[in-house]
Amino acid sequence: MAGISVTAITKSFGVTDVLKGVSLDVRKGEFVSLVGPSGCGKTTLMRIIAGLETATSGTVMIEGRDVTSIRAAERDVAMVFQNYALYPHLTVAQNLAVPLVMRRLSALQRAPFVGRFVGDAAAKLAAIAEETKRTSEMLGIGHLLARKPAQLSGGQRQRVALGRAIVRHPHVFLMDEPLSNLDAALRVQTRAEIVALHRRVGAATVYVTHDQSEAMTMSDRVAVMMGGEILQIASPEEIYLNPADIRVATFIGSPKMNVFPAEADETGAVSVDGVMIGIVSPTPGPVTFAVRPEDIVPATEGIPARITHMEFLGDCALLHAESIANKSPVICRIAPDQRPRASVGDEIRLRADPAKSFLFDAEGKRLRMMRTKAQAAYV
Amino acid sequence: MSDAASTVSMRSISQARSHRAPLSRDVVAAWLLTFPAILAYVLMVLLPLLGVLALAFTDYEFGASSFRWVGFENFADMPKDRTFMASIRNTVIYCLFVVPFSIGIALLLAILIEAGARGRAFFRAVFFLPVVSLTVAMATAWQYLLHPSIGPVNALLRTLGLGAPNWLGSSDWVMVSLGIIGVWENVGFNLVLFLAGLTAIPRELYAAAEVDGAKSAWSRFTLVTWPLLGPTLLFVMIITMTRSIRVFDTVQTLTQGGPNGASEVLLRTIYQEGFHYFKFGYSAAITLVFLAIVLVIMLVQTRLIDRHVHYG
Repeated sequence: MAGISVTAITKSFGVTDVLKGVSLDVRKGEFVSLVGPSGCGKTTLMRIIAGLETATSGTVMIEGRDVTSIRAAERDVAMVFQNYALYPHLTVAQNLAVPLVMRRLSALQRAPFVGRFVGDAAAKLAAIAEETKRTSEMLGIGHLLARKPAQLSGGQRQRVALGRAIVRHPHVFLMDEPLSNLDAALRVQTRAEIVALHRRVGAATVYVTHDQSEAMTMSDRVAVMMGGEILQIASPEEIYLNPADIRVATFIGSPKMNVFPAEADETGAVSVDGVMIGIVSPTPGPVTFAVRPEDIVPATEGIPARITHMEFLGDCALLHAESIANKSPVICRIAPDQRPRASVGDEIRLRADPAKSFLFDAEGKRLRMMRTKAQAAYV
Repeated sequence: MSDAASTVSMRSISQARSHRAPLSRDVVAAWLLTFPAILAYVLMVLLPLLGVLALAFTDYEFGASSFRWVGFENFADMPKDRTFMASIRNTVIYCLFVVPFSIGIALLLAILIEAGARGRAFFRAVFFLPVVSLTVAMATAWQYLLHPSIGPVNALLRTLGLGAPNWLGSSDWVMVSLGIIGVWENVGFNLVLFLAGLTAIPRELYAAAEVDGAKSAWSRFTLVTWPLLGPTLLFVMIITMTRSIRVFDTVQTLTQGGPNGASEVLLRTIYQEGFHYFKFGYSAAITLVFLAIVLVIMLVQTRLIDRHVHYG
């Protein structure tokens, strides 16, 4: 199978298990983000794909070739590092040329002063210069070729790092938080550029980030990682609308999804703080009820809560509240004109849209839920 | 900030003078506070230096009741002085031996220690030991090791069926022996500097080099380690060179410049002329030559720093 295929990767540092059996397939030309909080193992997984770390067990295939025990230099991968890792003593042109020089010239031809007179070194160097020039122009850094990295801005360095990665048309393109050192405005702009670049290069791309908005906006598929496991891997829409795990549900989306401890009676009817909310769990017992801020609104009936804070954001308003019984924090995203005529400290009722609510079991796994007609009418 | 501050205080001084106003309390306080440092500098650096400079143009001998200005006579005498010429030649040989070997060996050891998983602190301490130990005391050990008849080095060479040179006693071997001891003395110091330089190289650059296709250790060394060690290397070169030009204690304790002047070095000649023959004038002239050599080396190397190694 083309692209990247990672199977049952585990990685332990001493007694700490960083990766607990991760499997991931990235097709040729696909853009997959690994997103998760720091320490979830996403960078380790990427370094294992690159060949910079060895897995404790499991296999890595690139373009159908088992590369598990092959070192990074011999895998066909390119990588953009978080701090760019440009060679400070080389000019931009030389930095861009390194991957080509290392692969095409023999050790003797790379020797200083005399190398270019060995065999066809001069012709190869001319071809490399031509290719680096083309790549630099594609990235809009053609005018910087003679500069050293220290003379470049953060955004320019980032482009050089991208250029160094794509200059030799790799089959696998790895990016480790490449935008985290840029300022907010440049980050949004560069996002779009990276996506466009990815389409042009067409390599299987793995993109590591802790920023869910980067993952959601750029990727074909998003893999949410936590605690050394991939919790869910799916398209951004699927991840948002249909989270498989409560940790995915609360990690993706801003403001965070609201979570309430809830109880299902013997018929499965779910109540939050003693109030029936119109959904039915497949199993009785304690469950977790969750709903996104835009799917819960102040109403005449529903979960009793007290307003703690209100924020006006222009296109919407955020209503912060706390449920009366369990003190669960709640955030409602509402249209500005729907703000209740109430102020901080007042008690209101909050009604969740049952069709857009989620139920999770005690382990945090998603429960398929049903809605009864009677309760639907009630709500 | 200090620049700005000094500009301000300079201006206030000049203003105070030009207006012929009484010196402000601040200015007086500033001069009072600077005075001890100025005094120390003048007494301990400037005056002795000027003294040496002046002495170099006299024929003053210690204890003499008078002296004569002789112009450049002392300097003109030097090329005719066999001891001086031998000491220049030996110092150059010593530097050419000690500088490359102590730097090369230290760099190799530093890379090996850095690559090793354990024992870093141990090896660092072991190789640094010669730096902190007293050379004069360690010279005794070397004297024993290199003794022509009872020394372990020659015992080993004899069992291997090789010749047993008189390490410190023959004029063919004495500079080699001193050079080896010099390398032993300097390696530890250079090693520690190189280790510091190596730790400062970002790990990500090695990862980038690996991904970029640098397969061999040699290609990673030429692509990352060597260029990024540039500033450290230059510093180490300057330090080692000045340290080896100043070689004195091993020579004085082990050979006293012998046999027959074969290990005479610059600093020992200065010492001999000054404190043995009490020819202060001549000794001062050699000191100036010594200072000039050190200064030229420093200038050449700092120029190199600016041109080739400086990148931030």
